[in-house]
Amino acid sequence: MTPSAHDDLYQLLRDPIDIAALVSHVRAPGDGAIVTFDGFVRDHSHGRRTLYLDYEAYESMALAKIHEIGATLHEKFPIHRAAIVHRLGRLQIGETSVFIAVSAPHRPAAFDACRYAIDTLKRTVPIWKKEYFEDGAVWADGELPPAPAATPAAKPAS
Amino acid sequence: MLPAAQTIRVKVLFFGRLKDLVGLREDCIDFSTDATVEQLFGAYVHRIPELAKYRSSVVASRNQEFAAWNTPLHAGDEIAFLPPVSGG
Repeated sequence: MTPSAHDDLYQLLRDPIDIAALVSHVRAPGDGAIVTFDGFVRDHSHGRRTLYLDYEAYESMALAKIHEIGATLHEKFPIHRAAIVHRLGRLQIGETSVFIAVSAPHRPAAFDACRYAIDTLKRTVPIWKKEYFEDGAVWADGELPPAPAATPAAKPAS
Repeated sequence: MLPAAQTIRVKVLFFGRLKDLVGLREDCIDFSTDATVEQLFGAYVHRIPELAKYRSSVVASRNQEFAAWNTPLHAGDEIAFLPPVSGG
């Protein structure tokens, strides 16, 4: 568990995600809306029947990137609290792999922030899934995260 | 007598299909001090030529931050080679 300055919750978990606990974590009397995103394992991929998925992460970097997403949510949207949790390891069909909950006094910010969080997570957080089928397994097609372009002046962060 | 060659040790991590291809999740390698992330990847391409075709679909990181390919290596760096991400 990694609480933040806003009492947000960011986690990578190997156990099932407790959705109700996350929703209640972000809920407070000053809020009027909670928007959630529940991403779960589909039973097919590219026309083939999926048996299960196996997720792996570069855990230290993935958690750091999830924290960055959370910080950006508070900068960009008038929200109250966010919870972003991703599960790792083997997941069966129908199990939740990622869950995001955002609370806010008013619904537009909660909708916008939740959408921003899942879209950014899928593009920038170093997590990978391997899809297992009856006749083999493949690493899922993914998105290449935006990285700094090489320039003669490029310097490493200290 | 020649001076000892200047080398630094870096930790290298592979994920997803790169881990399968290299056969390692984690490696430690001694490298020349003036080398870049690109040259480090090149050293693994030399060992495993099939890696070359993934070069355009890999992003590198240095100490948990995305890094340009010409980022210089420093002693103790943790460099990772990341295939396209597919979380969610």
